[in-house]
Amino acid sequence: MTVDFLFDFLSELLSDLIGSGPVLIISMLIPCLMLFGFITIYALIVIYAELKVSSFIQDKVGPMGQGVGLHAGKWGLLQPIADALKLLLKEDIIPSSADRPLFILAPFMIFIGAFISFVALPFGESIIVADLNIGLFYILGVGSIAVLSLILAGWSSNNKWSLYGGMRSAAQIVSYEIPAGLSLIVVIMLAGTLNMQDIIRYQMGGMFSWILFDNPFVPIAFVVYFISAIAETNRTPFDLPESESELVAGFATEYSGMRYAFFFLSEYANMFVVSAVAAACFLGGWHSPISGFMDSPAWGVFWMISKTFFLIFIMIWLRWTLPRLRVDQLMNVCWKVFLPVALINIFGVAIWTVVFNQ
Amino acid sequence: MKRYFTDIFESISSILGGMGITLVHLFRARNDNVTLQYPEEKWPRPERNIGFDHSNYNVIRSRLHVDMDDCIGCLKCERACPVDCIKIVTEKAPARGEDIKAIKHKGITAKGTRKALVVTRFDIDMSECCYCNLCVYPCPEECIYMTGGPNAKKHPIDYEFSEPDRSDLIYRFAKKGTKDGLEKINAEQETGA
Repeated sequence: MTVDFLFDFLSELLSDLIGSGPVLIISMLIPCLMLFGFITIYALIVIYAELKVSSFIQDKVGPMGQGVGLHAGKWGLLQPIADALKLLLKEDIIPSSADRPLFILAPFMIFIGAFISFVALPFGESIIVADLNIGLFYILGVGSIAVLSLILAGWSSNNKWSLYGGMRSAAQIVSYEIPAGLSLIVVIMLAGTLNMQDIIRYQMGGMFSWILFDNPFVPIAFVVYFISAIAETNRTPFDLPESESELVAGFATEYSGMRYAFFFLSEYANMFVVSAVAAACFLGGWHSPISGFMDSPAWGVFWMISKTFFLIFIMIWLRWTLPRLRVDQLMNVCWKVFLPVALINIFGVAIWTVVFNQ
Repeated sequence: MKRYFTDIFESISSILGGMGITLVHLFRARNDNVTLQYPEEKWPRPERNIGFDHSNYNVIRSRLHVDMDDCIGCLKCERACPVDCIKIVTEKAPARGEDIKAIKHKGITAKGTRKALVVTRFDIDMSECCYCNLCVYPCPEECIYMTGGPNAKKHPIDYEFSEPDRSDLIYRFAKKGTKDGLEKINAEQETGA
C-alpha cells in the first residue's frame, strides 16, 4: 500500500495518457483518501462504543431505539451518524473579537497533526502508507503539532476559558511527551530500530516474543507509556484542557459545528494513533498471539486493529472510572513519578540485556 | 522515601480496584439498569383496594371500548352521556338479523338479539369524556365498557392517550366503509326491484 507501489501500478496503466506528474499526485491522494475514510468510520464506531460503554458502566442502557426514523435505530446504532450530521449542519460561528485567520486555522492544524501520524502506522505486513526508517520518531514528532494547534485555538478564541485550556494543554502535552518518549526508548533499545515494521518483525513468534514480555522492566514501560498517551490525547482523567466543570469546554469553547467536529475527530484519531503505537511497540503489532495460528497477512490487519481497539476500550474504561486530576497532581505524577521510573527503566533494561541476552 | 513507594503502590491498587468495580457494572448492566424502554415496556399496574371487589367493579376507568359486532344501535349510551361525547348514526338493515358480508356486518349479537339497524358511525371523543361510566350501565348488549379491570379479557388496559393531534383522540368504532357499502347495497336493491 505504499506510494511507490501505487505509482508503479498506475504509471503502467496511465502514464501514456496523463504523464508521470499527475500519476504521482493520484498515487499520493489515494492512500490519503482511504485513511480519511478509515478515520471517519473508526470515529463513528468508537463514538458508539464510548456511549454504550459509559452507559453500561453507569447502569444505564445508552442510546436505544426501535427502528429507523423512530429514536436512533436498533440499539441506538444510528446515534453516531445523527451526531455527525448534527455537527455538520450546525451554524458555524466565529466570534467577532476572535483572531479570525488563526481561529480558522486551528481545527485544521489539529486534524492534520492527527492525520499525518496515520501515514506511518503499520496495519499489516505490507499495508503501510509510508514505511519510514524513522517511523516511531516521526509519529512522536508530528504528535507535537497538537500542542501548537491547541494553543492557537485557545489564543485565537479571545476567551479566558479557551486560553486557560490552551495553556494547560501545552503544559500537559509537553510534560507527558518526555515519559512517553523515554518508555518508547526501551522498545528502540530492544528492537534496535526506529522502523515500525522492523520493530514488529522483531516480535515474531507468538505471544511470549512480544516486547511486553521481553523482560520484567518492559511492562512498567508499557504502563508509563499508556498513561502518558492518555494524557497526550487529553482524555479523562487528564482532560484538564477541556474540563467541562471548570473551563466550559476549554480550547473548544468558542467552536461550533464543523470546526468543533474537527476537534472531536482529531481527539478520537489521536486515541487510535497512540493505541496503535502501543500495540505495535509492545503487543506484537500484526502478529498473532499464538505462533502460526491465524498468522497470514490478511489476519495481520485483524490482529493489529483488534489489539488497538482493545487498548482504546481500556482508555474508555479508565475514563468512566477515574475522576479528573488537579493541575498540580498532574504535574506531580509526570515529573516526580513517571520521569524517574522511565529513566530507571531504561537503565534496568540495558543491564538486563547485557547480563541475560548475550 | 518509603512514602513515595507506598503512594505509587496505593494509587495503582486503587485504580485497579476502581476499574474492577466499573467492569463488574459493565457486564451486569443488563440486570442492574432500571431504564424502561417506555412505549414498548410499561410498568405493571399497581395493585390497590378501595373497598370494592375488583372482579365486578372497574376501579380504573381508562378508556371506553365498543364491540361493534354486538352493538344494536339503540342510542341508550348516547342519551346517557352527560357531556355528549358519543355520536351514533344508524341506518336500517336490508334484512333483519342477517349477516352482510360486504361490510362485515353481523346480524345476531352475542346475546342472540337480531339486529334491525346497521351502525354506520360510532364516534367517542375521549378528549371530552368525563369517565363517569354512565354509558356502560344502560347498554342492553353490554358491548360498551371501560377497558381493563374486570373487562381485561375482552380488551387489555390502555390508559396512555398520547397522540400527535387532538382529533386523533376521537375513536371511530364503526367499521371502515360501512356507510358507503350500505348505500351501494341499497342502490343495487332499488335497481333490482
